Amino acid sequence: MLGSTGSLAGVRVLDLTDDRAIYAGKLLGDLGASVLRLEPPEGDPLRRRGPTHNGESLWHAFFASSRSHARPESDIEAILALASSADILIDCGRLRSAQISPGDLLDANPALVVVDVSSFGPDGPWADYQAPALVAEALGGVAATSGDSDTPPLKLFGDQYAFIAGVYAAIAALAALRHARETGAGQIVSLAVHEALASVLEHVLMWAWFDDQLPFGAGSAGAFLPRQGSLHWSRAYQVMQANGGAIMITPTPDFQAQLAWLVEEDAHDDLLDPKYAEPENIVLLIERSMDALRRWTATKDVEPFFHEAQRRHHPYGWVMPIPEVAANPQLEARDWWTDYPLGEQTVKGPGPPYRMADTPAQIGGDPSRPEPASAEQILNEIGWAD
Amino acid sequence: MPDETRHSPRPLDGIRVLDFTHVLAGPFCTRVLGDLGADIVKVATNSRPATGGGPESPYYTMWNRNKRLLQLNLARPEAQQIARDLAAKADIIIDNFSVGVLDRWGLDWHSVAQTNPGVISIAMSGMGSSGPWASYVTFAPTIHALAGLTYLTGVPGRNDIGVGFSYNDHMAGLHAATALLAALEARRATGRGQRIDMSQFEVGVGFSGPALLDWFANGVAAEPIANDPPWRIAAPHNTYPCAGEDRWIAIAVETDQQWQSLRALLGDPAWARNAEFDSADGRWQRRAELDAQLTSWTARQDPYDLMQRCQQAGVPAGVVQTGEDLTQRDPQLQHTNFFFEHDDPHPTFGPINGDRLPLRFSKTDAAQYRRPQIFGESNTTILSDWLSMSAEQVQSAAAEGIVE
Repeated sequence: MLGSTGSLAGVRVLDLTDDRAIYAGKLLGDLGASVLRLEPPEGDPLRRRGPTHNGESLWHAFFASSRSHARPESDIEAILALASSADILIDCGRLRSAQISPGDLLDANPALVVVDVSSFGPDGPWADYQAPALVAEALGGVAATSGDSDTPPLKLFGDQYAFIAGVYAAIAALAALRHARETGAGQIVSLAVHEALASVLEHVLMWAWFDDQLPFGAGSAGAFLPRQGSLHWSRAYQVMQANGGAIMITPTPDFQAQLAWLVEEDAHDDLLDPKYAEPENIVLLIERSMDALRRWTATKDVEPFFHEAQRRHHPYGWVMPIPEVAANPQLEARDWWTDYPLGEQTVKGPGPPYRMADTPAQIGGDPSRPEPASAEQILNEIGWAD
Repeated sequence: MPDETRHSPRPLDGIRVLDFTHVLAGPFCTRVLGDLGADIVKVATNSRPATGGGPESPYYTMWNRNKRLLQLNLARPEAQQIARDLAAKADIIIDNFSVGVLDRWGLDWHSVAQTNPGVISIAMSGMGSSGPWASYVTFAPTIHALAGLTYLTGVPGRNDIGVGFSYNDHMAGLHAATALLAALEARRATGRGQRIDMSQFEVGVGFSGPALLDWFANGVAAEPIANDPPWRIAAPHNTYPCAGEDRWIAIAVETDQQWQSLRALLGDPAWARNAEFDSADGRWQRRAELDAQLTSWTARQDPYDLMQRCQQAGVPAGVVQTGEDLTQRDPQLQHTNFFFEHDDPHPTFGPINGDRLPLRFSKTDAAQYRRPQIFGESNTTILSDWLSMSAEQVQSAAAEGIVE
């Protein structure tokens, strides 16, 4: 039975989300919570999102896994009944559409945690703007730093904004749940996807605030770094071409060990020149090192090169397309892949993102399409009636 | 961290975290836990280089607020004993070292749990604690490459673009925080802590979830598609140049109604009246033509003004905002006070800014921020609070080079 084992066994979660926070329910369900996804009375549009297999959505199978599904005859009646029995409710505007106040839900169930996920927050000049993935990633700062100088700014592949907002929503739910456990007091936690995206940009805000402190800071170019393909802001990581594929190369964190390897293979150019040891030449050292590495990498076969680098503790990364990710020996050895329910069958997919020694995370759930049901029927079916 | 100036409760009040993390992934996890109210003691050591920069570097400053900093010379057995004593008082121990480093100091979960059975430890290594690649070393660009994110984020025919920032570091940190919060809930029921093995690689591979299911179910290998939406058709759906240097706007038309609204904004030109554009399939088939037409339209316009007009007409659109835009122009982030200046100037940098935790709690306000510490600011208070050491004992340990 869902919600009977795992770290969050016994925690009840009512999932009213759309794509922006659907991942939160997966994370909580993987960890053992009893998660009920209450589909809209007209059905869940995310069941139509590609890719598909035999007419069933693989997108839905992944993001809506590890939970039960119900479809209410009456949205308002079902939400009110289920929220009174839940520990956590995660919403993306459905309460507002149903004209239900989160405060009223807390009056009925004072320990309830309501996580209110919206694109921009409850108010402000952009509060009513529409922000599907591409727009969200543009406004949130993701696209400006992804892409190359000869391409448009790019969104990340897949629905990464859903992963970002979803994991923050899970954190919000669990942090507020802890407070409720300690005090008996639930609360409302608001999460704006726009802020969530702006918080995970690594160097971008640093560049705006510390550009005069960085050896290769923006200076006169302005307080942002234009997109530059795979070249890292430090200029010391970049994807390079080898025989048989691409590989991410970096001389960090141990420049001396990298130099010794280049010397060993007589590929070091002039990098032994003492001038590169001078602190004021750090940028020149990085640039010349990357030039030498680029020429050297072009002579290598990618697979043995990657493993030899890692044997020497250099953090190179072989650029893998999906079929090679799927065949990765590390993931196989750790028995990481798991089966996702899909209609009457299962399909292989990613395992949980962590291994809890005593209360292991587990992916499962029942994705079958629910028939319309009354609030009472849903409560009894899910086992929340008591 | 304990602070008598704070009055409102926070969700993780009373939780002690012993933090051995460095660079970004681990520090971002403990930054979130600190924002939520946990008492974070970050242990720095001279026995290994400060990858990512030390406490007086901008990079460190970005990820280490709401923590106290203890500098121990962990090459010394006495310092290792202090670390073990701290571990005996901790609710959570976290590291993102390579596998085995904490074990050598007697700080592995099994050793600590002998005297502190409620302790939760999480090891955020690159590849996890087992498997043929367990010793492989990674930074976020390594994970992006191995996990398929580099290959897939790009334009057709290119395999060398990828994610332009250390995405997986942030996400590994957030997933670690999720696991730790779940383990705290499990401990509430059992009284026992546990060990968590996190592979940052496995975190990253999960972000291609639907693409991997598509491969396993259908044998279809996803390819880079620029700004097209994956697995569905929508057009126009791209970023388009605007007036100004390297200014762009994203426009994402996903319904026929949005197309009709955009057509009206365009002034209903003759080319847009082509009946083929009335359907999603027709627009998809001729999306290159649509992109060219939109480019000629957007190129003369201010991106913010155009965004506003699109949004008011019901067309999803957004300026491609840079860090400068986010921090200086974005009216929504200004409205929500997303950025702030620390009350206490940094000893090296003077006034410094921060971005708030993007969670607004109605009862346990998390918006309480203490600036990042530098060496020597917190040694005495940490050792007093956690181990009841006197100022004289701390001074003695410092004189002997145990505490630095």
